[in-house]
Amino acid sequence: MSALGELRRIKGTSAPKSRKQNTAAFLFLLPWFIGLALITVGPMAASFALSFTRYNLLSPPRFIGIENYLRMLQDERLHTALAVTFQYVFISVPLQLGLALALAILLDRGLRGLSLYRSAFYLPSLLGASVAIAILWRQLFGVDGLVNVVLGWFGIEGQGWISNPETALGTLMILNVWTFGAPMVIFLAGLRQIPVMYYEAASVDGANRWQQFRRITLPMLTPIIFFNLILQLIGAFQSFTQAFVVSGGTGGPVDSTLFYTLYLYQQGFANLNMGYASAMAWLLLVIVAALTAINFWASKYWVFYDDQD
Amino acid sequence: MRGNTRRRIGVVAAMGAATMLALTACAGNAAAPTDEAPQLELSDEPVTLSFTWWGNDTRHAITEELIAAFEAEHPNITIEPQYTDWAGYWDKLSTSVAAGDIPDIIQMDEKQLSTYAANGVLMDLGGLSSVLSTEDYPEAVLGTGALDGTQYGVPVGINSYTIIANQDLLDQYGVDLPDDETWTWDDFIATAQEVAEASGGAVSGTQSWGFEDGGLNNWLRQHDSALYDADGEIAASEEDLAGWWEFLLDATKDGATPDPAATIERESGGLAESFTATNQSAFGPWWSNQVQALRDASGQDLVALRVPTSKGASDGWAYYKPSMFWSASAKTEHPAEVATFLDFLANSEEAADLLLAERGVPANEKIRDYITPKLDEVNQTVVGFLDDLAPQVGDAPAATPPGGGVIEAIIDQHTQQVLFGEMTPDEAAASFLEQLQQALEDAAV
Amino acid sequence: MTKTDPSTDLSPLTESVVTGLPPERVREQRRRRHPFRKPLTSILRHVFLIAAAVLMLYPVIWMVVSSFRPTDLIFREAGLVFDSFEISNYVDGWNALTYPFNVYLLNSGLVVIGSIIGNLVSCSLAAYAFARLEFTGKKFWFAIMLLSIMLPIHVIIVPQYVLFSQLGWVNTFLPLIVPKLLATDAFFIFLMVQFIRGIPRELDEAARIDGAGHPRIFLQIILPLMVPALATVTIFTFIWTWNDFFSQLIFLTKPGLYTVPLALNAFQDAQSSTDFGELFAMSVVSLIPIFLIFLFGQRFLIKGIATTGIK
Repeated sequence: MSALGELRRIKGTSAPKSRKQNTAAFLFLLPWFIGLALITVGPMAASFALSFTRYNLLSPPRFIGIENYLRMLQDERLHTALAVTFQYVFISVPLQLGLALALAILLDRGLRGLSLYRSAFYLPSLLGASVAIAILWRQLFGVDGLVNVVLGWFGIEGQGWISNPETALGTLMILNVWTFGAPMVIFLAGLRQIPVMYYEAASVDGANRWQQFRRITLPMLTPIIFFNLILQLIGAFQSFTQAFVVSGGTGGPVDSTLFYTLYLYQQGFANLNMGYASAMAWLLLVIVAALTAINFWASKYWVFYDDQD
Repeated sequence: MRGNTRRRIGVVAAMGAATMLALTACAGNAAAPTDEAPQLELSDEPVTLSFTWWGNDTRHAITEELIAAFEAEHPNITIEPQYTDWAGYWDKLSTSVAAGDIPDIIQMDEKQLSTYAANGVLMDLGGLSSVLSTEDYPEAVLGTGALDGTQYGVPVGINSYTIIANQDLLDQYGVDLPDDETWTWDDFIATAQEVAEASGGAVSGTQSWGFEDGGLNNWLRQHDSALYDADGEIAASEEDLAGWWEFLLDATKDGATPDPAATIERESGGLAESFTATNQSAFGPWWSNQVQALRDASGQDLVALRVPTSKGASDGWAYYKPSMFWSASAKTEHPAEVATFLDFLANSEEAADLLLAERGVPANEKIRDYITPKLDEVNQTVVGFLDDLAPQVGDAPAATPPGGGVIEAIIDQHTQQVLFGEMTPDEAAASFLEQLQQALEDAAV
Repeated sequence: MTKTDPSTDLSPLTESVVTGLPPERVREQRRRRHPFRKPLTSILRHVFLIAAAVLMLYPVIWMVVSSFRPTDLIFREAGLVFDSFEISNYVDGWNALTYPFNVYLLNSGLVVIGSIIGNLVSCSLAAYAFARLEFTGKKFWFAIMLLSIMLPIHVIIVPQYVLFSQLGWVNTFLPLIVPKLLATDAFFIFLMVQFIRGIPRELDEAARIDGAGHPRIFLQIILPLMVPALATVTIFTFIWTWNDFFSQLIFLTKPGLYTVPLALNAFQDAQSSTDFGELFAMSVVSLIPIFLIFLFGQRFLIKGIATTGIK
């Protein structure tokens, strides 16, 4: 809190409480409102309605009450999918964000060739969803993959990391961490957003580099850290492509990479059970919304906004 | 504020209702069947038909040539192609059906045919018989495209399940190619073990199986059972299923197939990364239409062998599987033009010259005789293999019932459980039946 | 001093205008702002970064190398093998599908440009309202905005397809672009809100005292100061749209409208042969635009408040 207090002190003034600006806000929000009304709400509401139906896409939906929701209680694969997804989210998101933040600070400034390094670290995230990823990953973590070759140099006998139920999810976490370039870019932009005058004022006060980092960089970056956290959280819960391409759409081996959204997709499009898939989607929404709400609540204690009073 | 919220919810509900209404109106709801066949009169006006298929770039190129050839003969008909890979194909097709945008001509798969037919998406091709002839098709093969006597699809090509042997590898390790007219599953495993041991583990004996329904179907038929019965119910017994997984598990334990992790890894990689395609396995179970692709990838001498038999199996367990069907939309506005195009695809030598065996060895016997001399060496061998098999071929398996399209995923999932020891073969059999039953019930209209 | 450090783009005099510091203080501060100036630490840092970059890039390098090898060898003799340098995969891959590959690149380019413009305009407008204006139900609408991105696309796309089909938009780029013009990529609103909230309010207040209304504050104060955020949104929209397979698969059916992901997909068939050499070659080709965009776009990404002029 002392860092925040200091920033407020540096900032000096505080903005006056403003009146409601409904008209201006409405005009600024108009495109979004139109999109919300025409494109977002209809399909969302439809998917909610479909969650109470049996709907195979080929024939009209048939109302079945809360049967889909009751079925979720019994569905063991769904429970597996939840467990897999929670593990994935809670391990890979912090790892990825930590690495992204560290590299962003390292690559911020003060070194020759930074733009090349940034591009190199960013390139993997560009590969994104391509089929090539699956093949590349098998080349790395397969039975005859590079990882095992390297382990072999040290006399360690490797294994099929990607198709062993114990380690398959781990390789997908590494895959996610590997694409840390995306949050890194946002951190880089955030670092450059910090007004120089704060550093100036701090150095006048005789703060050293570490103190500047602790008292200025970190607190000023918290809104961006917070954004990345929320973004990665929502994104990780909806992770689909990586597991889809690496496991060939099965979520295997032995359902060890059966991400929630992958199972939802299997239900909706392979089993043509779109009613059930919709119910699953709304359960996911409730889970993600609850976690997001908790984060927003917790953010009051650690996120510093420059426009707060 | 409260009234405001209520109004908002009202709006949301209205939006949702509007979309729902559209879904209800659009889906390919079974149109009341009409007794009289539609009048098939070709229009003089320009007609546009959409034609959708799955495949790779080779198939896309061939099919577009086909379209061009057809359009040259029928200047007023335009065929709009739509193509994707296998996985995307079904997502896209089901979505477009949901909105009522059904393509006029649809490349259909055996495991999806009944699902789409039962929901009224597909046209009764019998009504097109004045233009679309099916007389050159053997009864049994044609029957695979019919459900309860209604013809929903014209079979395109035929396949058979086969064991691909790598002659070069067998020679290298001094193992004789077994006699596939008499071999049993035990012979098969013994030979595979022999290769694996002779190579000192450099190559595996046989690629594992248990990731699609072909192997299971053959096994069940050899045990006088079947996957489904004629009423669309599951016919396979828990005992036979357990026996299948037991055998697969033993083959792995005995070292005839690679260890489970390697097997699963290759399985998710598709044909190009398979043991057979990379010359790392002496044997591998495949469909006969994959021989060409496998040979191209491996560059070695691959031989198609008959599937081994179980002791005491009666004849007639082998079967021809249709590689795919030509189907049409029940809602097409131009049945006459659709029939003309389907006839061109199914019966014309001109189309056959372009198609060759890319979509499987032609199911149309007249066309098969016509085209065989024009095929390359590998495909001629495949035709020969299928012809030689004919005496052993029995009735076609009962059609996959609606919802059965997911069977491969269910088999795959349970094979993984068995190989990794998460389930015993008995547990897998029970769980398999439960999940397949659930899928069929979910699909019941 | 490095060339890539944007602070050297401006003279100390200019920066002093921006930051309100005397030029000599800016110079002194610049010196202090550069950590790791000692050669040894700098070399160590380079060594570490190069090692990390190689690790990160190995799979990409493998793909590039494989794109120059004959297809049948890619898996038969896998690994990082520099045994051939054939450009035939590129030549053949370019012409393997119905249209030459430039058609798909152009289609993707159109969708991408439309999406970028849409996201930049509509999301920044909405973000300004959420970050700077007080209005009724602000928290409610903010929550709605976040909720709208929490449903997986797989259950949204069917109703959306029905909607666009009714509008006759299927088989055009409209279903891919119009939603962006209407700020449905709400992630970016949230992103820009976070950035705008990092801009000191004193600047708005000063402008307001000068008689500026919200449009002017938005255009003349906020937008120039959030160039890094705009660059981030541009880069992300570019990459997400360029790589987006599922919605393009569903909404585009005519091969003439196919985009890069759909074209790449048309190469493969897991059940039969896939020409991986050509597939990799075209994947490499499709990576080049996004790589270039990033290489040059990052100038704007790191154009911080310190270097953006306030007029």
